[in-house]
Amino acid sequence: MLSLLILIPILGATITMLVSNGTIAKRVSLLCLSVVVILTLYIAREFTITDGHFQFSETYQWINLIGLDYSLGIDGISLPLIGLNMLICWLIVFAYDANSHRARSFLALLLLANAGLTGAFASTNVLLFTIFYELELIPIYLLIAIWGSVKREYAATKFLIFTAVSGILILVGFLAVGWFAANPNPTFNYESLLHTNFPVAVQTILLLILLVGFGIKTPLVPLHTWLPDTYVESSTSTAMLLGGLLAKLGAYGLLRFCMPLFPDAWHTLAPFLALWGGLGILYGAFTAIAQKDIKRMVAYSSIGHMSYILLAIAADNPLSLVGAVSQMVSHGLILALLFYLVGIVEAKVGTREIDILNGLMNPIRGLPTTSALLILSGMASAGIPGLVGFVAEFITFQGSYTQFPVPTIMAIAGTGLTAVYFVILLNRTCFGKLDNRTAYYPKVSGVEQIPALVLTALIIWLGVQPSHLISWSEATAQVYSQYTVANAGLMPIRLDSSQIAIK
Amino acid sequence: MTTTLERKTILPPSQHEFAEVIHRLEAGGAMLPDTPENLMQIIGLYKAYAVPMDFYWRDLLYIAERVFLDPVPAFKYFLPQEYLELENHYAGDNADLRIWRGYATAHKELLEFMDKGELKAKLPKLFHHLWHDRINMEFAEECMRAMLWHRNMGGLLEPYMDSEEYKQNCDRAIKAYFQYNPIMLGLYKLFPEMFYEQCRQATMTSVLGLFWEIMAPVFFEMSDIYDEGGFKGVPDAMNFLVNGIFAIAGRPIYHRVNIRGEWYDLVPKSKGFTWLYEAAFPYVEAVFYRTAPFRGTKSYNAQAKQVPADQNDFHFGVLYADKFPVGSAGIPPTLLHQDMFHFLPPYLVEYYQKFCRGKDDMLIQLAISFQRSMYCVTSAVIQAGRAAFLYPLDDPNPEHLKANRAYFEGQLNRFCRREYGMNEAARLRFIQTQDYR
Repeated sequence: MLSLLILIPILGATITMLVSNGTIAKRVSLLCLSVVVILTLYIAREFTITDGHFQFSETYQWINLIGLDYSLGIDGISLPLIGLNMLICWLIVFAYDANSHRARSFLALLLLANAGLTGAFASTNVLLFTIFYELELIPIYLLIAIWGSVKREYAATKFLIFTAVSGILILVGFLAVGWFAANPNPTFNYESLLHTNFPVAVQTILLLILLVGFGIKTPLVPLHTWLPDTYVESSTSTAMLLGGLLAKLGAYGLLRFCMPLFPDAWHTLAPFLALWGGLGILYGAFTAIAQKDIKRMVAYSSIGHMSYILLAIAADNPLSLVGAVSQMVSHGLILALLFYLVGIVEAKVGTREIDILNGLMNPIRGLPTTSALLILSGMASAGIPGLVGFVAEFITFQGSYTQFPVPTIMAIAGTGLTAVYFVILLNRTCFGKLDNRTAYYPKVSGVEQIPALVLTALIIWLGVQPSHLISWSEATAQVYSQYTVANAGLMPIRLDSSQIAIK
Repeated sequence: MTTTLERKTILPPSQHEFAEVIHRLEAGGAMLPDTPENLMQIIGLYKAYAVPMDFYWRDLLYIAERVFLDPVPAFKYFLPQEYLELENHYAGDNADLRIWRGYATAHKELLEFMDKGELKAKLPKLFHHLWHDRINMEFAEECMRAMLWHRNMGGLLEPYMDSEEYKQNCDRAIKAYFQYNPIMLGLYKLFPEMFYEQCRQATMTSVLGLFWEIMAPVFFEMSDIYDEGGFKGVPDAMNFLVNGIFAIAGRPIYHRVNIRGEWYDLVPKSKGFTWLYEAAFPYVEAVFYRTAPFRGTKSYNAQAKQVPADQNDFHFGVLYADKFPVGSAGIPPTLLHQDMFHFLPPYLVEYYQKFCRGKDDMLIQLAISFQRSMYCVTSAVIQAGRAAFLYPLDDPNPEHLKANRAYFEGQLNRFCRREYGMNEAARLRFIQTQDYR
């Protein structure tokens, strides 16, 4: 079943390249993604929510000599992210203009990236994860380099260098993990590795290697410098993919591998990681405030919001881990929406400059629905109650405060600062008056608004009914916490449903 | 295509910021460039404006003459048949002065609209009213209030309304009107000035009604001439207005109130107040230039000195109006645009559908056409002022031409003042191109 989620997009990518024009390519892509969305929904329906271990597992021997198996499985961490992957890719294809430049290639690469991300999220063999992790790099590099804006080549090269370094570090780290766990042959099976106790010194070295590797991808400050250029120079569709999904792969690596495989080192470094997260949040917020380009502002906001995840994982208790997964999904939805709306603004108005944009809320000549949704997404990002951002951030803070009060307070301050830069953005762009000389924008069609409305509906729905988001990962968070507690010899903390006050 | 008017070259070129416009005015043109597109827009808008205006003047006279001081004038916009059939003094067979064609009673398009409204359904009048499916008198009353509020704009009616004679006239009317209402009479004893002010408002309502009584047939006539292929350019249209202004300049301005079948004069015709000085000039000054900051999407901060301390510096009229936010807020000019929207000629509807967002933003497009047309009317008033007080455009005396130029430059300086951002607000620069829609 899980293999189908990977194979169907790959098959779709192949067909897409063979068809005669963009319209057919779009239909094929949409069909493939619709099938995998339905499959994902079926998997979610069959998923045992109370079981925190891997489900729907598939294992095939591949290269025994090096310990590489084709083994897949999903749990409460990967399933929400796979769902997010399917949804965002489907929306990207839906919104994509079939008549645009080299549409077939774009759609084929998007499907490959989708398959790569699904493979990475579903891998239960660390080497297989690394292969998928590296594979998705190629289509995304091409998506930036071919369909980006003016400085796309620079941005794509920067992205390539950073993520290649990230991939090498992760490969080195996992090879070392496999060799240290050799008994007598190297093993890369994730569940086997979970039960391996590495010496603390080894743990620390390997953790640092993987931390940098996944930290680049997340990205964590100061490993983030590729992100603003890449996000800004990418097309709207690619930016949605990057912000909504790709960054989650880094955070997923931290949660899936760094924390449970090296529990002693993790607990030693956790206070520093939490502080790192807190500083990252403030850095992201302050730099976002200083931006004049709304896409760059959203990009910097992403840096800050990804640091919430580091803080949550550092706290490493069931509640904070639920918060981390929720934040990944929440941030993916919100950022995809923000990038989509910024893309609409840029396409219709022709600029992203805060100092030029004004009065978009004007109901007749402006972009009223887009502006309204921009306001809503800003509110969601700032953690306004009733929206999904609040759910994720509140659980994160609740989970991390008891262990790391100072970084948590820094994170809460960061939430306040998020409101500051979104108010700046909204006040300058949506409010005020339209300039009579320039305000002749094309209308946003109903079809163009559909992806934004779907994402908005989810943001509201999961904000009003948070249990539909957090219940997926509760059991897995409990299991993960027990791993690290057991391995690190700490007192276990049980997740009490009453802790999640907004359930 | 721009028709080039011949300009005498006796004077050196103007160095004014709007030198091109000055030269155009000196050549007998308007502030609005002479293009077929502009001509089509302004004439189309005059027609669309004339139909609701035919209602405005009738209802304004009804309010001034019949509603008068009614403390609860809930039905003042429900025009009785008598006023729908009221004969225009300048149209129809019984006209005092027949310059323009057209008929004396309410226009047929107006009657059709009043019958079924935008909903195209014959429903109780109250329903149409509450649904705003009607001619919106709120705009007309805003114009009247602007004229009342901006005092000292010249003319003799202003000081007359503060005179003892006027107060005595009011006193008679007030006592007659409230003859059977001891409460209101008691209030009048206590607060006479409040009642006089209400009388002044009724007087100004009458003034505006009498002003528009003339403008409605003028605009209908212009539309008919255009439909017959009569106007060759914007200057022709403007000259038609100038000629109309002079033909009718001496029309008496008065205010009388009908109380239980008897007429009471507040401003008798015998005072000799005339249309040009007591209605047309104050109207242009108050409504086109000044009015008041609107409570709409654009807010003004008086403490930050965004609102001028001196009323003479007010610049919130149609010539300065930002039609983008105004067109999207429920404030008076929007209601006027809504009124005009119902009566747009087909050629203008077709034209608007080609630009911007077509049907979706037609209100803004027509609002900007309206702004262009009001620049044409203002040009006519400026030319009329020049003709009345200065010299002919083809005067051979250079000193006279210099005086004309100083006059034109003085008029356009109002659009160049930097105080309170007046130069930025003025749309004169915008209307020089067709890109402004």
